[in-house]
Amino acid sequence: MGKVDLNFMPNVPVFDANAALGRRHDKRVNVDTVEGTIAEMDRTGVTKALVYAPHGAAYDSTEGNQILLETIGNNDRLIPQFCANPTFDKIDDFSKSVNSANVKTIRIFPPLHNYPFAEWVVGEWLDWAESENIAVWIPVNYETNWHGALDIDPTQLHDTLKNRPNVNVIISEIKYADFPWIMPLIRSLPNISVEISRWVIIDGIQRLINAIGDQRILFGSRFPDSPMSPQLYNLHHNDLSDSSLKDICAGNTERLTGVKVS
Amino acid sequence: MIESTPIIDFHAHAGNWTNRAFPDNPEVYIKQMDITGVDRTCMNCIWFGDANWANNLVHNRFVSAYPDRFIGVAFVTPHYPEECIYELDRSFDELNFKFLKLYPDYYGQSSDADGYKPIFEWANQKEIPIMCHGRYGTDAPGTTQLKRYEKFTKDYPKIKWVIAHAGGGTELDSVKTAKELPNIWLETCGSGNPLNAVSYAVNHGLSDRLLFGSDMPIMDYRNQIAKVITADISRDDKKKILGLNAIKLLNL
Ligand SMILES: [Zn+2]
Repeated sequence: MGKVDLNFMPNVPVFDANAALGRRHDKRVNVDTVEGTIAEMDRTGVTKALVYAPHGAAYDSTEGNQILLETIGNNDRLIPQFCANPTFDKIDDFSKSVNSANVKTIRIFPPLHNYPFAEWVVGEWLDWAESENIAVWIPVNYETNWHGALDIDPTQLHDTLKNRPNVNVIISEIKYADFPWIMPLIRSLPNISVEISRWVIIDGIQRLINAIGDQRILFGSRFPDSPMSPQLYNLHHNDLSDSSLKDICAGNTERLTGVKVS
Repeated sequence: MIESTPIIDFHAHAGNWTNRAFPDNPEVYIKQMDITGVDRTCMNCIWFGDANWANNLVHNRFVSAYPDRFIGVAFVTPHYPEECIYELDRSFDELNFKFLKLYPDYYGQSSDADGYKPIFEWANQKEIPIMCHGRYGTDAPGTTQLKRYEKFTKDYPKIKWVIAHAGGGTELDSVKTAKELPNIWLETCGSGNPLNAVSYAVNHGLSDRLLFGSDMPIMDYRNQIAKVITADISRDDKKKILGLNAIKLLNL
């Protein structure tokens, strides 16, 4: 007879490093409100969540980030992450908005916004991220009704970031099919972390820890497209030390955002 | 609270798949099963053109080596129609496999294709359950699972159909199909993980016809079982999906 805990809840503080908040233009999302997001966090034992606005990805970072801040209001469990389009946004204005909202992380979308992740395109933004200690989330892919499943080019990631050892980059939503390139990439570049909401490959957690240790792995859920708890369940069943579990579930994201979960 | 309940994984693959860096070493599966609490895993092998080779691999490497932990699942391909019936007879009569997995994607045609007719007729006569997908890349626009399985359940009323990746997947069409038709079960594995997929099916009255699956060695058992364990459904429903339904379906 299999032995399982049918009422599983995490036993460490949890900081979700990959959630979206707000409506999308191309479908009705499962949950688009603060109340709904907090309800799922309470149900699954998630303390805080780093959230970005889908509108900031699909259409306009300035308006999207504004909508995000208005939506969050004064809720201190939802931490804003700003979307950016380095080919359009003015870096000075963007920097001001980041500072005034006390935002520490941004999310960029090279394939969605149709630019190569190359020094000659994003160099100025990487200078800024480095000097302001802003961590940069890059999802492998971001799908909309007008943009299919075009993934980030791993060679561009490698060639650009190998000369940028002081910029913290988080490759978000790595998935099982990315295994052949993501493993050598993270082994070769120590400033890259990974967010694991879609990382369901067999023995995935152990493979990452064996490759890069426990300080560059971030729990994330991809809520509201996906539930918050399955990856937490996996992390709690991987024989991790207390400190590894705490760091992956929250500590590493705390360090990158400057926000404590408790 | 840790509790005991039978857990059967309905969907796992045998055979090496090296671009996922995973060798099909049964001991690795067993280690994962022990961590996760899985009692028995249903193993199919669909990665060979030679079904005889594939079924022998399942039998020799997994089922006969660890008969308490693995259940054999047969595979045949209509690319070689002349071999199908012989291989089906052999898989169920000699190897004692429990159901049939078909993978029309590798045939380049959907399960409605004529090539599958003799296989379905055979399974209907022997009352063998069949697992395959609900939709295919080759489907014409407007194809629905409901239409597809309406015909199947009418033409082959003794086959119990299991739609893979449907109970926890993105195909809400499959919930409708299972609700409206008899003899349809939905299996839960997949790399995608839509919010509320399992509870959606349960809330539509399908808790007796959902089956936990892992898709090993592509997916980790723990992520896949967590979809059921952490779903917003009752403990009794979790137990049914984790194993009790499979035990009933396969007469284990
Ligand atoms: Zn499969």
